[in-house]
Amino acid sequence: MNKLFALVLAVTGSAASAQTPTTNPMPDGSRDMYAGLGIVSAPRYEGAEHSKLRALPVLQVQWSNGVFVSGMSAGMHLSQQPLVEFGPLLNLHPRRTESGSGAGVGVVEAAGTTFQPGPVLMRTSGNRLTGMDEISLRPELGGFLNVYLAPAWRLTSSVLGGAGKDRNGVRAEIGIQRLAIDIAPHHTLAFSGGFTFVNSAYNRSYFGVSPAESASSGHQTYQPDGGLKDVHVGARWNWALSPSWMLTSSVQASRLTNDARRSPLVERPSNVTVSTAFAYRF
Amino acid sequence: MMRAAHITACVCLLSTASLAAAQASARAGEWASYRDAYRAMVVFDKYGGPKTQLLHHLQLVPRDKGALGDNLQLALGGKTVQTSLALDPLGRTTLPLLKAAYDENAVLSPNRGIGAFALRLRVSIAPQADNSYDGAELRAACEQALGFARHVDATARTRQCVGVRMVFPKKGVEVAVRVRATSGAEQSLPVAPAAGEVDADFPSVSYRFGAEQARVITYSAPLAIVPLFE
Repeated sequence: MNKLFALVLAVTGSAASAQTPTTNPMPDGSRDMYAGLGIVSAPRYEGAEHSKLRALPVLQVQWSNGVFVSGMSAGMHLSQQPLVEFGPLLNLHPRRTESGSGAGVGVVEAAGTTFQPGPVLMRTSGNRLTGMDEISLRPELGGFLNVYLAPAWRLTSSVLGGAGKDRNGVRAEIGIQRLAIDIAPHHTLAFSGGFTFVNSAYNRSYFGVSPAESASSGHQTYQPDGGLKDVHVGARWNWALSPSWMLTSSVQASRLTNDARRSPLVERPSNVTVSTAFAYRF
Repeated sequence: MMRAAHITACVCLLSTASLAAAQASARAGEWASYRDAYRAMVVFDKYGGPKTQLLHHLQLVPRDKGALGDNLQLALGGKTVQTSLALDPLGRTTLPLLKAAYDENAVLSPNRGIGAFALRLRVSIAPQADNSYDGAELRAACEQALGFARHVDATARTRQCVGVRMVFPKKGVEVAVRVRATSGAEQSLPVAPAAGEVDADFPSVSYRFGAEQARVITYSAPLAIVPLFE
């Protein structure tokens, strides 16, 4: 419907985790808030073969002073110009547990050539994160810069640091968004695409295998370098059911590249995340 | 005179406004968000560039061009805010910027069924009471409109002001526009609908800026003076 409706969902681990909403001029002291709940089907972790269905909270709030909360991100719009948006950005990078965010118990996969012989339990668990270190939820700090090429086309970029085992992982995203195409009364589509670059510390935390992890997991030691981590595209469909209620749905596809793709933890380089949620505009 | 390459200020600002296209074929669905309308309109209010010769309106554009008619109003309804906004023949009105209506997530809806419609910000040049326009002043006004368009739309940076288009009522007035040169020679400008524009079913007269000084005289007041960019 319009670019304001580009809700950013709290999809754990998805490329949307650091997206920023568009600026929203409003009266002093006012705010615009969406909150809701839905479901999401997302890979257990980046590169996982199987997906997991879970509840999806939706949250986007903007205040008149420029501060916003958008899914797992928060920040502040500092620009006074309509064609440029920039400001600080805070993001919560999801944790990675040995169980791979839960559910993949009982899945048996064929042994790959990259595996060293390991404990029988590990080889038959079907969970490539078994034996890997847990990485806690990490706050990431950085900033964003968006530039409008045209009113409905936005170049987006962000840099965030603080993820990974030693909190020294850095990732940068650059992308383009086509905001709000009216396809029918109260129905809009928006599209996005982009690239994610990371440093070696990030890749080693989330896609590498240390000697200690190799011993406990059965994977070969793997020390990836930094560089382009993934390419991703997405589409969002918003249906404004009433002035207050909206059904927002999205599909995002990402493909791991380079050293991340070659990680022994990666079961498949391409992942798809699908979500739908009802949101109420307060 | 009017070429397809003309990009009017209305078109430029339409997409910038990014208003909720409150479209519906069913009566129950004919609504638009006040917050979205507010958001689009306040950009003009906050614009710090020259705009003394400009007007800005919220314009209702029905999918069915004949749906506007007479006495159409836009109802603004919230928990405590209830008012009606009268629309001119072009479907334009002045949107009050009310914090209460914003906070209440108020709704804008037509007072009768008109089918699908869109709301948009429309910037135009202020008409003169004596129906006489100096060519240089029209150009200056057009430059003001272009300045605002560039403020909100990066694609407008490569465009230039080339003229204005005067939009007149469909009935009840004589539509005649003449250009008077400094030498005293006069030339009548042709009346033609502006194909492809939101007001295509209204009589329009386009005037392109020239090198020579001139005065544009209308025999009735135009509903709107639209700046033309190329």
